Amino acid sequence: MVLADLPEDAGFTVKSVLLDREVGKRLADMGFTEGAEGRVVRRGFLRGPLQVLIRGYSILIRRCEAAGISVESDAEPLASPFGPGHGLGRGRGRGPGRGRGLGARPGFARRGHGSGEACR
Amino acid sequence: MSRVRDEIVIALAGNPNSGKTTLFNALTGSHHKVGNYPGVTVEKREGTRRRGDRSYRFVDLPGIYSLTAYSLDEVVARDFLLDKKPDLIIDVLDSTNLERHLYLCLQFRELGIPVVGALNMSDEAEAKGLKIDTDELSAVLGIPLARTVGTVGSGIEGLLDQADAVADGATGAERMPGYGDELEDRLAPLVAAIEADPAFAAAYPSRWMAVKLLEKDEDARKRLKTHAASDRVLAAAAEATAWIERHFGKDSEIVVSEQRYAYIHGAVKEAVTVVRKPDFSMTEAIDRVVMHPVLALPLFLGVLWSVFQLTFAIGEFPMGWLETLFGYLGAGVAAILPDGLVESLLVDGIIGGVGGVFSFVPLIIILFFLLSVLEDVGYMSRAAFATDKLLHSFGLHGQSIFPLMLGFGCSVPAIMAARTLKSPRDRIVTILVIPFMSCGAKLPVHVLLAATFFPRNAAAMVMLVYAIGVALALGSSLLLKRTVLKGQATPFVMELPPWRAPTLSGLGWHVWEKTWLYVKKAGTVILAASILIWAITSFPRREPTDAELSSLAAATSAANPGLDAAALESLVANEVSRRTLEASAAGRIGHFIEPVFRPLGFDWKIGVATVTGFAAKEVVVSTLGVLYSVGGEEGNEESLRAALKADPVFNPLVAFSLMLFILIIPPCFAALGAIKAELGWKWLGFSFAYLLTLGWLIAFAVHRVGLLAGLVT
Repeated sequence: MVLADLPEDAGFTVKSVLLDREVGKRLADMGFTEGAEGRVVRRGFLRGPLQVLIRGYSILIRRCEAAGISVESDAEPLASPFGPGHGLGRGRGRGPGRGRGLGARPGFARRGHGSGEACR
Repeated sequence: MSRVRDEIVIALAGNPNSGKTTLFNALTGSHHKVGNYPGVTVEKREGTRRRGDRSYRFVDLPGIYSLTAYSLDEVVARDFLLDKKPDLIIDVLDSTNLERHLYLCLQFRELGIPVVGALNMSDEAEAKGLKIDTDELSAVLGIPLARTVGTVGSGIEGLLDQADAVADGATGAERMPGYGDELEDRLAPLVAAIEADPAFAAAYPSRWMAVKLLEKDEDARKRLKTHAASDRVLAAAAEATAWIERHFGKDSEIVVSEQRYAYIHGAVKEAVTVVRKPDFSMTEAIDRVVMHPVLALPLFLGVLWSVFQLTFAIGEFPMGWLETLFGYLGAGVAAILPDGLVESLLVDGIIGGVGGVFSFVPLIIILFFLLSVLEDVGYMSRAAFATDKLLHSFGLHGQSIFPLMLGFGCSVPAIMAARTLKSPRDRIVTILVIPFMSCGAKLPVHVLLAATFFPRNAAAMVMLVYAIGVALALGSSLLLKRTVLKGQATPFVMELPPWRAPTLSGLGWHVWEKTWLYVKKAGTVILAASILIWAITSFPRREPTDAELSSLAAATSAANPGLDAAALESLVANEVSRRTLEASAAGRIGHFIEPVFRPLGFDWKIGVATVTGFAAKEVVVSTLGVLYSVGGEEGNEESLRAALKADPVFNPLVAFSLMLFILIIPPCFAALGAIKAELGWKWLGFSFAYLLTLGWLIAFAVHRVGLLAGLVT
């Protein structure tokens, strides 16, 4: 399941970051790396951002980016209008890199699971 | 570069919310200056301190989370460290949250610059029940550490002792944090390949470069171009990353992050013990209310309203005093100097114009004070939490709401307030749409036109214009995000710092620095602009001849039988100033651009008022006053309304298009100066062209549709 699906107060362990390039690296820099443990503190009103506790500090993260973090949790995932396992909300960019400068370099963009452009 | 010398240059670096600024203030006292990093609006603060026969120069780097090159702050910090090579880095660490803050520390270690760690907020850590074994941590990280409390300035001497020791060449336990055997085995040949070019290795720390290549850092790859055998290094890097990605089954830049955190996790486990867990968290208690799903938004609106009210309510007094002061100054100069050009330039041009700028300063001081309080206590991120969803759907950011709302008062502080937005893209969009928020100075124009041509629905018409402004702001930001400012997606991942009491010295500095930057940058633009406006309304000079005056007097008294001499004289004076203005360059510009205005139903008089309106939007009203020979002073609104009503050019439709036109066209010079100061000439040009085009098109469309619909016969 992904972080965005977790209910309030659910604890989780990060499995992997599904987002590419800049966004993925940023999330890793912020502490979302494999094995990191955290907790969803609160979910914003009307699909607003999530407040997540990770590595001892609180961060705000939009649901769109939270949908790009694969986690493990004991909590029951919230029902998603898109069905289970659907990572990203609207405008998913399939295909690597989508030709934006850096992304197009072979070997540097893999993982066709949506690109950083999905969250705009 | 000798190790022992009089001045050592120290970069003060660390995460945002590490208490870096308060520590900087404690280190430098009042001896610092603020400027900008070359070419960008990131503030650069430098300060000095003397101790014994040694002097220290501190450079306060922007707060960053990592040494990547994704945000402007990161690029600035990184360029400074790589290109300016300071003698020492003091890494400011939040002792309550070491796991997070050491991530950056590990990256500093690779730069080949000595690092001293400041365990800041050590009092808070103790209060939270955390016990840090400084010696152990120092040994694991391979850097000297000193405990500090920036807010009260304790631990400063100890920190400087450590800095001295490092500057004198003392090397502690030089232990380099590692990335684990698998990565180190890949790094070793890469380092060797980089060091094959000794000149390059002298310019760039080779281990740092090797790690950045594994992280696929674009900026590092660019810097590598100066390497003698860059192809070979790149090939080695490609091979290493490919191996890592096969071995770990994920991107190598992610693996690098994971290994860093793994090392830190181990270090923290060894050196930090949790003595007791606090059973009550003040932050969480406050957040339950402030970030409540239902309460958050109304609470935010309340805070916003208070900031708005306080700024303009308190600001009104000093603004009035300054206006009076400049009024006296103008009158004084006018009394000393003989009537003529020099007097007119000084009084009407420079004192009037620059006085206008300075009367904004109290507003800016109050505004920045309040915003700094909100930022320093940690409210800003809570506000972003409350509003982000709504604003994000229009391509804006949660934090855009503050600047936008301030725009209803005055665009200048609003544009400056956009500095709270960290992502450049969000900041640019926000600044570009602020002019749509109808500012206080446009209100008299709207009121004049609405009251004259829509006497029954005047308030509703003004509200409508405001609403159209908001709609245009939201629509424009959507448009800009889809076109000009497309791409470069910056994720919304922001730290939610705990609530903290602000320090007075910190607030004072924030306010002083921002105010000074405004005065310096906007001030010069406005001085030039005031002189320009003065010049085009005064030249070419046209003194009425005696014959003209007497014939005018005769005509006036014939047209107005029964008026006393004083009233007649003022009518004549009004007519003279009308003729002077019409004959001036501004009047000629008005006539010259009339063809452009005719499709909107406007005539040359509106053209002149539009041009002079760049000095300040309320000037539109006084210019119309002069042009309709009723005088430019306040209190003539009644006669101006009558004159506008009598003018065949005007009708309700034209009045409405004019209201929209004034709403949309580029703001006054003060606001343009602020845009220039914040975003530079390029965006100023874009903003000007965009607003002018859109204003014309919308006024044109409204006028044409109105005519077609037969609203005016």
